Amino acid sequence: MLVNLQGPWDPIFGRLGLILQYQYNNPVIFFAFELSLVGGAIALFWLTCAGKWRTLWSDWLTTVDHKKIGVMYIIVGLVMLFRGFFDAVMIRTQQAMAVGASSPGFMGAAHGYLPPYHLDQVFTAHGMIMILLAVTPILVGIMNIVVPLQIGARDMAYPYLNALGLWLTVSAAALVMISLFVGDFSHAGWVGLIPLTELPYSPGVGVDYWIWSIQIGSVGTTLGAVNLIATIIKMRAPGMTWGRVPVFSWTTLATNIIALTSFPVLGVTLALLTFDRYLGTHFFTASLGGDLMMYTNLFWIWGHPEVYFVVLPAFGMISEIVPTFSQKTLFGYVTMVVASMAIAAVSWSVWLHHFFTMGAGPNVNAYFSIATMLVGIPTGVKVFNWLFTMYRGRLRFDTPMLWAIGTIFLLISGGMTGMMLAVPAINYIVHNSVFVIAHFHNMFLLVAYAAFAGVTFWFPKVFGFKLDERLGKRFFWSFTLGSIMVFIPMYILGFMGMTRRLDYISHPAWYPLILAELVGVGFYAVSVFFFLAQVVVSIRNRHDLRVGADAWGTSRSLEWGTHSPVPFYNFAVTPMVHARDEWAWRRENKLDSLKPDHYVDIHMPKNTMVPLILGMLSLVLGFALIWRIWWLAGLSFLAIIVAIVVRSFEKDTGYIIPAAEVAAMEQDYLDRAREVESAGEKVGGGAVGGGVPAASRAPWNKLKGD
Amino acid sequence: MSHDNHDPLDHPEVKIASARGYFIGYAFAAAMMFISLGLVRSHAMSPAGLATTITLIALVAVLAQLYFLFKLDLSESQIWHTVAFAFTVPLFVMAVGLTLWMFHTLAARTMLPGMGM
Repeated sequence: MLVNLQGPWDPIFGRLGLILQYQYNNPVIFFAFELSLVGGAIALFWLTCAGKWRTLWSDWLTTVDHKKIGVMYIIVGLVMLFRGFFDAVMIRTQQAMAVGASSPGFMGAAHGYLPPYHLDQVFTAHGMIMILLAVTPILVGIMNIVVPLQIGARDMAYPYLNALGLWLTVSAAALVMISLFVGDFSHAGWVGLIPLTELPYSPGVGVDYWIWSIQIGSVGTTLGAVNLIATIIKMRAPGMTWGRVPVFSWTTLATNIIALTSFPVLGVTLALLTFDRYLGTHFFTASLGGDLMMYTNLFWIWGHPEVYFVVLPAFGMISEIVPTFSQKTLFGYVTMVVASMAIAAVSWSVWLHHFFTMGAGPNVNAYFSIATMLVGIPTGVKVFNWLFTMYRGRLRFDTPMLWAIGTIFLLISGGMTGMMLAVPAINYIVHNSVFVIAHFHNMFLLVAYAAFAGVTFWFPKVFGFKLDERLGKRFFWSFTLGSIMVFIPMYILGFMGMTRRLDYISHPAWYPLILAELVGVGFYAVSVFFFLAQVVVSIRNRHDLRVGADAWGTSRSLEWGTHSPVPFYNFAVTPMVHARDEWAWRRENKLDSLKPDHYVDIHMPKNTMVPLILGMLSLVLGFALIWRIWWLAGLSFLAIIVAIVVRSFEKDTGYIIPAAEVAAMEQDYLDRAREVESAGEKVGGGAVGGGVPAASRAPWNKLKGD
Repeated sequence: MSHDNHDPLDHPEVKIASARGYFIGYAFAAAMMFISLGLVRSHAMSPAGLATTITLIALVAVLAQLYFLFKLDLSESQIWHTVAFAFTVPLFVMAVGLTLWMFHTLAARTMLPGMGM
């Protein structure tokens, strides 16, 4: 049954003997190893000294609270974003060092410092991490935090499943990080260029790391999608009709319908590839009835909907932020919702534009070209809606608004170049060039901008204090300079004919532009510093940065109608929804008191450690399958089944908070809010007396402070 | 959560589940798979005929799974199941139909005539 393997295999250690063949004297890997070792040691030391182990366990590791799960998702995403950025730095420095035949080589490379095999792993890891383990967890995290609050729910529909999704994502991220030190990672590009991913071409464990980390992570994403869809459909507060669901929740629904229908395709594709590699089937080989193109086809049937999976929540966040800082209702709510759903629908019929050049007929290419261009219509509707929202609004340029406007700019430039690529004739010219790279980085940067906007926007809701504005703006501007300096030269280089994934640049005329990109990476590095400084300074000054319920003073949707930080039970009593912009409606009608006339018992889900255990077991399972340690794989798989079965017999999964206890906790929150209010000229609106009237938030007042 | 009743067996979604349905769905899917396997192993038909037959069997298996395992039908009482079922059709047509169309033109343009398929 199993394929005959090259190299060592042992019944107990599987292929682990292979690691003796890899070179561990590489200073680049050694640096990464030291970084994680020292970082990990510092974290463990701090946890022990500060006595935080118990807090970590009961407040975070075993929690089923959607807000904490969301925060952990975002932290995982940010850590992986940093890792992916490191990979990007390595790619850019390698290319800058390897221009022209006389460029020197270091550490075994003919040019630059990364031999081709190592560079291939770096860009594969960069792409896979940035898309699946950085952007996706950050977005899922924001959806997790915001959606139940926006629709007035106590938690997600399935809190236990929610935690499970998180821990599966974490174990996927852990597998990728392990691959850095134990064995190697795939060298076949993040899309898994076929037939490079087949066993004869990649006999090592790199591709297996890639397969299993995506596979485990995508199970987590699919579970999360089920959960969010069920939450939005079933758990809306009384009065929240479909016409009153906030746009971010609508886009979340559209996004997760995409996720639920597309991620299984990826799972099947990778499973078929796994059969090829492990069992010797021939789904994607050129012989014995296999078809190479089928892999590319199936991969992009998932891959293009995935693009809209990441871009739609970004649109949703912008749709919440622009009205808040324009101090107006969103222009064209209905068209916004229709546009989101239309994008989700069209997302399913465009994937072939990823392989226009593979030899399909003109009719096929024309069909997919037109389908791709159709996406421009609902997207255009959205852009115009945001612009009309800003038109004659009282605009305020707080950090989230800056990121939001940056998003719109990037959407326009990325969308335009996307339209260009949707024309098969142009695609034939720039196919596989760095123009394509610049385009999709443009689109993913848009998502990153929106994610930073979202994180800054909802941060005070979750933690009760704002992020530092001054450092936030510096973060924005240095990041923007980086984006301009890296990707405009990349667009130009694409037109000049530079192909993607180069480890050596044979054309010295490209050197100045490649150096410009390196400068851009420098700006990105500066922005990382400002981001970290922003977080540290904000935490240090958290007392001064405290906010009331309505952190921005002009917020509009329901999540601003509860305390900041949000209590673990979200709302003291389930809110009744009266309007599309519920919180704005309450503010205008002076109904924004957070003190209800009476409190009721609250039913909450209990903490559980089963999701954490399942996550760790799937990490072991993944590791065992990668190294083909069959006994360990079988054992951990059995343990997973047992844990699921045992948990399903657990009847006692919730508890009741008595009304009196709720009243006591609420009193603490109300006292805190009163303290924040009485502290005078605090940024943001009040919690007890309600939001500040819009007139006093005129832009000139705000700008004076900056 | 927001429900007052916490016995999962009282939920309508759980109530419509039946062990018999799951067993039939599983047995049916397995049978379809073994029939396909048998057809391929015995080279019962020409390559083109085999591909068509297996595609049809797969379609039948998908429909059976949608009905028996996912309980998707057109009933009024489970409106979200009906919505999901109605949503499956365009997705299926798009993903499978467009793929077939594209591979058909690809084969016509790139494969040598008379080499099968």
